[in-house]
Amino acid sequence: LFLSPSISLSLSMAAWDLSVAVEDLGTDAPPITVSVTSDLHIGGVILKLVEKSQVKRDWSDHALWWEQKQQWLLRTAWTLEKCGIQADAGLIFMPQHKPLRLGLPNGLNLRLRVCFSGPVFRTVLGICKMLNIRRPEELSLLRPVEEKKRKKVRDLSEELYDLTEVPLTSVSRPCLYNGMPAHFADSPKTEKVYKMLSVSQPAPAPEAIAKLYRPASVVDKAHIHSRWLDSSRSLMEQGVQENDRLWLRFKYYCFHDLEPKYDAVRLTQMYEQARWAILLEDIDCTEEEMLLFGAIQYHINKLSLSEPQTMTSSPAMDDLDSALQCLEVKLDGANSSPQDMLENLTAPELNDYLKIFRPKRLTLKGYKQYWFKFKDASISYYKSKEESLGEPIQQINLKGCEAAPDVNVAGQKFCIKLLIPAPEGMNEVYLRCENEEQYSSWMAACRLASKGKSLADSSFQSEVQSIRSFLAMQQTNPNTHTDDSMSINTHSLVSPRYSKKYKAKQLTPRILEAYQNVAQLSLTDALLRFLQIWQALPDFGISLVVVRFKGSRKDEVLGITPNRLIRIDLGVGEVVKTWRYNNMRQWNVNWDIRQVAIEFDGNVNIAFSCVTADCKIVHEFIGGYIFMSTRSREQSDTLNEELFHKLTGGHEAL
Amino acid sequence: MEQLSDEDLDHTDGGEEDSDKEDQDLDKMFGAWLGELDKLTQSLDDGRPETVQKAPQKAPLRQETNMANFCNRFSMYNINEALNKGGEGVDLDSLMADLCSIEQELSTIGKPNSGKNRLGVPGDAKLRQKPPAGRGTKGHGGAGGSGGGTSSSGGTRRPLASNLDDITAQLEQASLSMDEAGRQSSHSLASSVGTVSEHAVRSISQSSWSSVNSASASSMDSLDSYLRPSEQDGATPTPQGSNQGPPGSTEVGQPVKNKHHCKYNPEREREREREMHSYLDWETSLILQNIAGKPSHLLTKEEQVAKKKAEKIRVALEKIKEAQVKKLVIRVHLSDESSKTMMVDERQTVRQVLDSLLDKSHCGYSPDWSLVETINELQMERIFEDHENLVDSLLNWTRDSQNRLMFIERIEKYALFKNPQNYLLGRKETCEMADRNKEALLEECFCGSSVSVPEMEGVLWLKEDGKKSWKKRYFLLRASGIYYVPKGKAKASRDLVCFLQLDHVNVYYGQDYRSKYKAPTDYCLALKHPQIQKKSQYIKYLCCDDVRTLHQWINGIRIAKYGKTLYVNYQEAMKRTEAAYDWSSLSSSSIKSGSSSSSLPESQSTHCSSDSGVAVSENNLSGHSRSQSQVSSIFSEAWKRGTQDEYSSPVTCLY
Repeated sequence: LFLSPSISLSLSMAAWDLSVAVEDLGTDAPPITVSVTSDLHIGGVILKLVEKSQVKRDWSDHALWWEQKQQWLLRTAWTLEKCGIQADAGLIFMPQHKPLRLGLPNGLNLRLRVCFSGPVFRTVLGICKMLNIRRPEELSLLRPVEEKKRKKVRDLSEELYDLTEVPLTSVSRPCLYNGMPAHFADSPKTEKVYKMLSVSQPAPAPEAIAKLYRPASVVDKAHIHSRWLDSSRSLMEQGVQENDRLWLRFKYYCFHDLEPKYDAVRLTQMYEQARWAILLEDIDCTEEEMLLFGAIQYHINKLSLSEPQTMTSSPAMDDLDSALQCLEVKLDGANSSPQDMLENLTAPELNDYLKIFRPKRLTLKGYKQYWFKFKDASISYYKSKEESLGEPIQQINLKGCEAAPDVNVAGQKFCIKLLIPAPEGMNEVYLRCENEEQYSSWMAACRLASKGKSLADSSFQSEVQSIRSFLAMQQTNPNTHTDDSMSINTHSLVSPRYSKKYKAKQLTPRILEAYQNVAQLSLTDALLRFLQIWQALPDFGISLVVVRFKGSRKDEVLGITPNRLIRIDLGVGEVVKTWRYNNMRQWNVNWDIRQVAIEFDGNVNIAFSCVTADCKIVHEFIGGYIFMSTRSREQSDTLNEELFHKLTGGHEAL
Repeated sequence: MEQLSDEDLDHTDGGEEDSDKEDQDLDKMFGAWLGELDKLTQSLDDGRPETVQKAPQKAPLRQETNMANFCNRFSMYNINEALNKGGEGVDLDSLMADLCSIEQELSTIGKPNSGKNRLGVPGDAKLRQKPPAGRGTKGHGGAGGSGGGTSSSGGTRRPLASNLDDITAQLEQASLSMDEAGRQSSHSLASSVGTVSEHAVRSISQSSWSSVNSASASSMDSLDSYLRPSEQDGATPTPQGSNQGPPGSTEVGQPVKNKHHCKYNPEREREREREMHSYLDWETSLILQNIAGKPSHLLTKEEQVAKKKAEKIRVALEKIKEAQVKKLVIRVHLSDESSKTMMVDERQTVRQVLDSLLDKSHCGYSPDWSLVETINELQMERIFEDHENLVDSLLNWTRDSQNRLMFIERIEKYALFKNPQNYLLGRKETCEMADRNKEALLEECFCGSSVSVPEMEGVLWLKEDGKKSWKKRYFLLRASGIYYVPKGKAKASRDLVCFLQLDHVNVYYGQDYRSKYKAPTDYCLALKHPQIQKKSQYIKYLCCDDVRTLHQWINGIRIAKYGKTLYVNYQEAMKRTEAAYDWSSLSSSSIKSGSSSSSLPESQSTHCSSDSGVAVSENNLSGHSRSQSQVSSIFSEAWKRGTQDEYSSPVTCLY
């Protein structure tokens, strides 16, 4: 419209009434009406509004929300005319930060105040800053899977940790106080919440796992990805209301610069997300891999239960402690006489009657009892204790061997299966122990020896302990001592498929077997190992979307991964084509017909429309991964937000 | 390949007897040390002449044994060191000087302290004098220390005194046997230094008792066996060289038992070390405790001497520790059927060995130079990875092994990184790729938070256990191992059956399995535990339809097994290649800009393989020894002998 200056002037000068609902006064309160002219800017409207409301408070966080158009009026310098607001506009004056119920990867539900007015990307940055998660660009928000009605009832009672009162810091990397960000250290309540964020949660009951939603097919998995919120628009604009539920998840599967020192929360949440992906069969793995995952979970559970206090101790104190200990040792050493030292010099050994069985050349000979001596890294055995000073019948060096348990607690069977490499092949030897005690120490010795360590190694006792605690898990009889807090159900460590497939007494020994390879890891190393194995799965990091390729009549699945796109034939269920981002020239979205077109090197062009998810989601995924790949090159820590929006924004960004 | 009889092993010094001259020099030297010991025994006898009794051989007289060890070991250290570093032009004079100073050290420590202390009088006197001084100067800190010292010395004196009879008797016997041992071990000392070659022998040939003893004969172990039989792992103290165990039957236990003796045993090592320290503590700790924390200018003369002494002993001990590193003499075969012999120590990686071979053979750097293990008996071979420990790998060979170690250029070694698109993308056909993209691909694959294993899958032939028949199976490679799809199942992850996990196996190229096992094609690979050296059901054989698939699988398995290490190895190798290229282009008159042309090293390598025979290496070596002609006569002789030994003696050239 081209109005002549005089008319526009007269129009703009004419005052009219604008009624604005003020959220803080309550839903029942009548809207406040202010007299405005069209050339009044938004800031002026707000000023008038506040004056008229006669409420004295901090209004700085408030802004105008245009209900019909579902948009914020954040540019306070714009005039009403420029915004296109007329008297019939239903405006609401409300705070930009509101509480939101946030589900974290570890299942924890938080209530915290987040930004409803900025783009979701910015909102996530705020949440991550608050929760002390670095690299927030890798995460995003998605709508939760609808729960069945039966669940709703439980939902009300579910625990919600309120963090709405926690003040936000403006520092980019919050300083740590007592091992946690200062804003968490204010009250014991928030301290507790922080612990829950940074320490992995205990294993859920197998029944609970079975009840949770599991995607059954490729298409189901694809549906999950339709739930991601649009990063370039605000929560309000996407229909998210105050106190709604959203999930915070890692969206882009390329984890940059993981540093356990700073990333306690990030690492834990990443682990939890990985764990649940595996438990809920969101990502497929083999049986061996599942057992290893189970073993690491067990190990992590155990460690997080036993060493929560390490969180609080500062490194300086640790240094002092170790220095003091060192000094103590030195003083002790100075006091001990050479005679004592000589006594210490005799290498520790194990001596006992054990039974041995060597399945050789189809002989059916059973176990035979000998006097066994374990010294250094080898086992020797003698006819009897009396002859143990002479030549052993045989001496077996265990370095490089594989020691596997063959245990049935209920059946009182405690065997150690040794696979000892020799030039002719592997020699199989079974050692049978009488009881748990004996088994624990001999097994521990065998394991150390297989790594070339002797009994004198400091890890011997902890090895014995871990074997014992694992044996305790096998105590199927609930009447026996259950005071051991470590005893957990092995079924809660594997996905329901394997829970169904195996009984606990079949599962436990197999997890135990896998466990011995990880038993010596520290908590952080165990977390990292879990993530590493997860990332090494062939299906890792593939986000699926059902699409229809141009010229094709059937639905197919597009997999988006950190480095490539894959095309999966739904009929065969196999990857039929791979395109790598490295070869990508450009991609375009035709927003009118909702079609994504991508051009690759060598004049390869593909185009598809999206079936399960909006094409903005696909666009954002591709652009997001391109953005992630730019991070490593620039060394600076600052997040290039502008670039992210440029790559993912689509037409809104322009 | 030479086969060694037990006699050979026992008397590696057989050849040396011709040249007794050098031996005598060393004999003299050793005799001097022995004389020292004799003096010690005499001084003991003087102190308590009435205590000449026969005593059981198990008296724990650490001081003397340590002393004996000390000189013996130190000599060994020197020799080893000389052999090791001689090539690099280390000054043997300084080593000699070191040795002499230690010798002096020993005599000074030995005489006053060991003599008196054991009599229980002067040590005491010293003690009574010291504590007040310590308290005076140090306050509360000193009180604790000296108090501790007193109590400890009290603890030691009593058992010592009660043992005196045993000790003196022991010593006498020791000195007797020392003479004999001296004769023999001075032999082995003179014979080189033989320690080196024997070291090698003992670490390789694990299946014979005698090798154990011949090995220990050269070192302090022989003395140990006399003086501390109780320490010898329950073994009877037979004089070394005289007991020739039967060559071990090939039971598991048999080689193991020997290994226990042969191998450098860290536990025992630590024990010894601690003895050394206890020795040190015993001698000087009382003084040292008192002077701890005292500024040096306040120390009395005596204290300063003690401190110096402690320091010197510490340095000596460190050097000795260094000398305990296991070494192996290996024969490396070249592509022209010639071979060269070299010594590697247990800490060296394949890369380091390759570097020294490249330095010696002047064949130009190329990252493709490889050490290849060929197992003739099994007709398989493997390129050692650069990060692997060579000695560890070679120790898996049996004594009578026909295996060979080849030094040869193999493009397969790093083809993966030169053309990653052919290996990482799971494509069926080879293709070209721009360098920029290759780099990006490698970075993507190896530099992420986890290494992505190429998605290898397809039908392979699997040899059935114990039969010469092959069955088709659909195999998949995952980071966690190799899987196959069971019959009648889809290839969903959950249904896969684990064929092998890769932690304990290495992947080998099979050679000519078509005729050996009736394989369907020539493109075979085998997976086995490195220790397995003979036909076994634990070796798995796979056969691919074409050579491309074979290389893809082998490289896939390498990536799954070694991950990023592989890429780091490659980058390291490339760095060296570039450095070497820069250097060589600078040294030659025509300075080219440092472009990395690949044709150049190849031409050099062909040149190299023609003339890098034994002759060349010997020339080099004689050059080395000539340059060190000013070195004191004993050691230059020994050195020469050692090098001859190392390079010409048929006995030591096991491979």
